[in-house]
This record gives sequence, structure tokens and C-alpha cells, in this order.
Amino acid sequence: MDPDRALVEAAAGGSRDAFDELVRRHQSAVITLARVLTSGKGDAEDLAQDVFVRAWRSIGSFRGDSTFRTWLHRVAINVIRTSQSRQGRLLRMFTARGRDEGTVPDPASGEEPVDAALARRQVIDRALAALPEELRVAVTLRDLQGLEYKEIAVLLDVPIGTVESRIFRARQKLKPLLQEIDDRR
Amino acid sequence: MTEDDDQAAVAALLASTPPPDVPADFVARVNARIDATEGWLGVADFRLWTLRLAPAAVVLALITVLWPGTSTGTTTTSVSTAAADTFRPAAQDDWQQEVSSDALLVAALTGAGHAR
Repeated sequence: MDPDRALVEAAAGGSRDAFDELVRRHQSAVITLARVLTSGKGDAEDLAQDVFVRAWRSIGSFRGDSTFRTWLHRVAINVIRTSQSRQGRLLRMFTARGRDEGTVPDPASGEEPVDAALARRQVIDRALAALPEELRVAVTLRDLQGLEYKEIAVLLDVPIGTVESRIFRARQKLKPLLQEIDDRR
Repeated sequence: MTEDDDQAAVAALLASTPPPDVPADFVARVNARIDATEGWLGVADFRLWTLRLAPAAVVLALITVLWPGTSTGTTTTSVSTAAADTFRPAAQDDWQQEVSSDALLVAALTGAGHAR
């Protein structure tokens, strides 16, 4: 049973209050997804707003074949990837080589962490940014967003075995990168 | 530590990622953006126009069908008569003549009526 179902039906009927509640329920997840998928290079909040605008415009076409959360993640991935490819094209047009493209943020260059939670998040963000995109997306959807393997397979349109393999490999690669957090404990 | 332990440890670490700081006005900003896009897209959205124009289309269709002296048969006849007046195919013989490509080219260049 989709916990968002009643709100989705109301929003599809034009209720902005219902849609506001859906935004409040999922805003953290969508911002996190945007932050991870852009490796911190884009404005995650701005992209998350785009995602919700697209969701509002498309909610009438949501048939309830999956949960709203899964559907929203699909919308988010589409919006974020489209934005990334547009930005990539612009970057290639105006620079001979994107200086930031494909590089992992330097841990030493980051701002001084305000508190332990922020520091942990920065370490996790950097570690995730070091992964290839297909591994990063799969492990984010599973471990940060809490989606089921089956949901991820549907979302990414790949077999469930592929999802399991990507998540396994992602965690293997992340283990040494997250050592810093373990060491602080 | 086994591989499974490592996997579980990483999963637990990731799951404990602190949630992002969401600005208090996030929902309001989403709403403002929706309002802005609907203002423009409402004008360009053909589906809205289609729906709004549907009653007018129905009225026009009814007038066409019910108007005295209007029938599809009359229209068809007049159109087909007009077509017959303007389009006169060549004689059957013309279609069966063997015509060389050179002759066709000459006919096209000189504007001759028959290329034989």
C-alpha cells in the first residue's frame, strides 16, 4: 500500500495543499539524490525544485503502477540527468576541457566542518563522488534512500541481478574511502 | 571482518548520513516556480486549448450537419465535377506508347505537348 496514495489522488485532482504535503514528505530525499548525482557540482536545491515542478505537471499521468516515491525518483533521475547533460554540453562549448569534470573534490580544500554531522556528510559525499555514476546511483538509491532492490531495478530499467552487483561493487569501493569516518569513532 | 560484514558496515554508514538542511521556504519556492511555469505553459498548452475549444467545435459540427440545404452529397458532387473539368487524362493510347528517355527530355525542354 502506497502511503502517499490519498495525497497523490488529491494532487492529481488539482489540490496544491496535497501536493505541498508530498513535497514536504520527499524534499530531503530529492535534495539528497540531486546532491549525490551531481557530486556536489550543481545546485541540488534548485534541481530538486525542478523535480517537483516536473512532478506537479506530470502527476496526472501517474497511474499508480509503482509507489509515488519510486515514480518521483524516476522523475528526479530524468530531470537531473537532463540538466547534467545540458551543463556538460555548455561546459564543453566554453572550455577546452572541463577542469572540474571527473575530478574528486579535494578533502583538504573543503570548508572546515561546522560539526561532526556535517563532517560525516562531507566524507560520504566525497566518497560517493569518487564512484562511477552507475555504482553511485544504485548504492544511493539503496543505502541512502532506502529503496528496495526490485524498485531500483524498475527505476533503472536493469535486471535485479545487475542492481545487486552494482551495489556490492559500490560498497566494496566505498569501504576504504569511508575509513576516515570509522577512524574518528 | 568478512565481506558480508564490510558490506553491512558500509550500508549502515551510508544509512546514517545526516539529512540535508532543507530551507524553510522550500515548499513556497516550489509553488512560486509552479505558478511561474503555469503562467507561460498555460498559454502554450495545446491540451487546454483543445478542451476549451471543444464546445465550439461541437456547435460548428452540428451547424454543418443540420443546416438546411447542406449535405455531404452535394459537396462531393460539386467537388468531383470541378475535378473532372480541370483534370483530363490523356488518351489510353498515350499511356501505352513506347517513349525514349531522349524524347521525354526534348519534350520537357521544348514544352512540346506530346513526347513520342
